[in-house]
Amino acid sequence: MIERALPGAEVEVIDETGGGDHLRATVRAPQFAGRTRIEQHRLVKNAVQARFDDGSIHALSIKCATPGKPSR
Amino acid sequence: MAANPELKQKVEELLRENPVLLFMKGTPQMPRCGFSMRVVGALEQLGVEYGAVDVLPLLGPLREVTGEIADWSTFPQLYVNGELVGGCDIVEEMFESGELAEMLGAEQPQHAEAPGSQAPPNPQQSPPLRVDQG
Repeated sequence: MIERALPGAEVEVIDETGGGDHLRATVRAPQFAGRTRIEQHRLVKNAVQARFDDGSIHALSIKCATPGKPSR
Repeated sequence: MAANPELKQKVEELLRENPVLLFMKGTPQMPRCGFSMRVVGALEQLGVEYGAVDVLPLLGPLREVTGEIADWSTFPQLYVNGELVGGCDIVEEMFESGELAEMLGAEQPQHAEAPGSQAPPNPQQSPPLRVDQG
């Protein structure tokens, strides 16, 4: 879902609790370059909003990075 | 549903009056959510003054308001000079990297670690701010 919204993104999603609804996503996307963290997070959140709306995700912790830069 | 205009106005007023403003669940002395507590921990370690709004009494209406103001409807939310900086994930990352200290003109603690889940001993923020509806 995230990859579809952000073509070229590398996405890793970890299920933190094993329940499938508390997730941690690490996203490395070229679209993040030049954007503030809050803008990067908005891009990811908007990409998965439907899953929040239908209740299948309860919490998503996000870490964003731009390719070529260390994850921060 | 559109946000309550009076509440939105009140929030915008608070954002103008408080260069560093945290919307959180509970109060800095008694956070009611682990994520809110972690943001409080970061701010306390930097020793900056900040305003804190407990969102719990008006959670739904405040979500509408911050959704309109900043396109963000989960709490906590940290604003600096009226701009949304982020929630817990972003604030912790920026705290650990020193960016938060830089942004707030504070000194980076020598051993900056994620604050974890300990309540700060001496919160130094202004008295709790209240938002009332209408």
